[in-house]
Amino acid sequence: MKKLLAAILVMMFALIACAGAEGTVFRMGIDAEYPPYSYMGDDGSYTGYDVEMCAKVCEILGWTQEVVPINWDTKLIQLDAEEMDCIWSGLTIDVIDPEAYTISMAYSDNSQMILTKKGSGIEKLDDVSGKRVGVQLGTSADILLSDGGDAAEFGASFGELVRYENYNIAFTELMAGAIDALAIDIGVANGKIAEYGEDYYCVAEPFAAEKYGICFRKADAEMCKQVEDAFMQLVEDGTYVSLAEKYGLDTANLCLAK
Amino acid sequence: MTLTAMIVKMSEGLGRTCAIFFLTLLFSLPLGLLVALMRMSKNRVVSAITSACISILRGTPLMLQLIAVAYGPFYLFGYTLLVKEKLLAIIIAFSLNYAAYFAEIYRGGIESMPVGQYEAAHVLGYSKGQTFMRIILPQVVKRILPSVTNEVITLVKDTSMAFTLAYMEMFSIGKQIANSQSSFLPFVIAGVFYYLMNSIVAFAMSRCEKALSYYR
Repeated sequence: MKKLLAAILVMMFALIACAGAEGTVFRMGIDAEYPPYSYMGDDGSYTGYDVEMCAKVCEILGWTQEVVPINWDTKLIQLDAEEMDCIWSGLTIDVIDPEAYTISMAYSDNSQMILTKKGSGIEKLDDVSGKRVGVQLGTSADILLSDGGDAAEFGASFGELVRYENYNIAFTELMAGAIDALAIDIGVANGKIAEYGEDYYCVAEPFAAEKYGICFRKADAEMCKQVEDAFMQLVEDGTYVSLAEKYGLDTANLCLAK
Repeated sequence: MTLTAMIVKMSEGLGRTCAIFFLTLLFSLPLGLLVALMRMSKNRVVSAITSACISILRGTPLMLQLIAVAYGPFYLFGYTLLVKEKLLAIIIAFSLNYAAYFAEIYRGGIESMPVGQYEAAHVLGYSKGQTFMRIILPQVVKRILPSVTNEVITLVKDTSMAFTLAYMEMFSIGKQIANSQSSFLPFVIAGVFYYLMNSIVAFAMSRCEKALSYYR
């Protein structure tokens, strides 16, 4: 028993000792279930547009990047508790309180779209009225369409707004016909359409336009500035656009390239 | 990602799943007995406080308790250890929650013992402690084993709740793979993993029951 306890203690100390490596470690918090921005790649390590942009930023600044998968529902609590240094994962900055957090410049437009299946009879936004629409819980589409959100009136016109834990399950329900459409970020929507092909399409007109950015703790304005400067270098050398193309993002959304 | 790659990746999380499972059992089984004894204490204050605690732990979701243990001390006192050491927060929350359930199982077992045994032990000159440790407890353990097995099996499945604190155990990793590969295969793999673990638990517990059935 004593030996076991000693072993546990030794392991704990080893863990703590490992945490104190040299150099600046930049811990980016991601939703690991949010392709193409941040997800688990085929080799089992985290990848995506945001993860790779962050890696390039860290390269410029000489920081060591550490990817921290977080629980999207408790992301701000985890940021407050210093589990990571920023939230950088297709984060819609419009819904973050600028008084309480340091928010970077917007690096991408994020149109909110209605994604549906051929034969649903949905051609324009008005057609969604009375239909069953799915969203991922806690995403900007969910916040916008719920009571108090900017698109709450549009949300109220639905037959029902069904909230899922992630878009993978929501999309399966759409395929199965349990819901008529999804309210979803354009980047994620295009990813799904690229994967599943012809039978799925987005209604041309977005129901809301928002912006993606990076969120830091209030006290980390200096860190935010450094990241922004490095990010702008990547905009200038073209990495910003070429990585977006690599991950199949709509380059029309890249607001810094305009 | 191939099937093998998925299984390998999810196996990495399996170690964490097992850590939650074994550490929770290690702490909650003895703690449960202590809580059961406090619950049955003749001191009204101790018994009332204990039963209030049990009532709260059984009456609120484990998911909520996980958040409360990890982030409660941080928001109230700025205490960050439980935020940084996720496994510690998870083990505390799980152990408290399971101790509450185990306590009630122990209590049921202890109270089912006939008073005559205590009287007989007293006549034979056993002290209270000796009566409990040598006569009552061995019989209780035997009697409550099936109910304990139930809880242990539930614990295997409950480990997936550690995702609430963004702890990357097996099921969290499975969900990430499912999402990036748009595949339901990881859920099948997770199902097989849980079923295998529980088969082992059920087998081990039935061996224990057999070993203890010395009167038959």
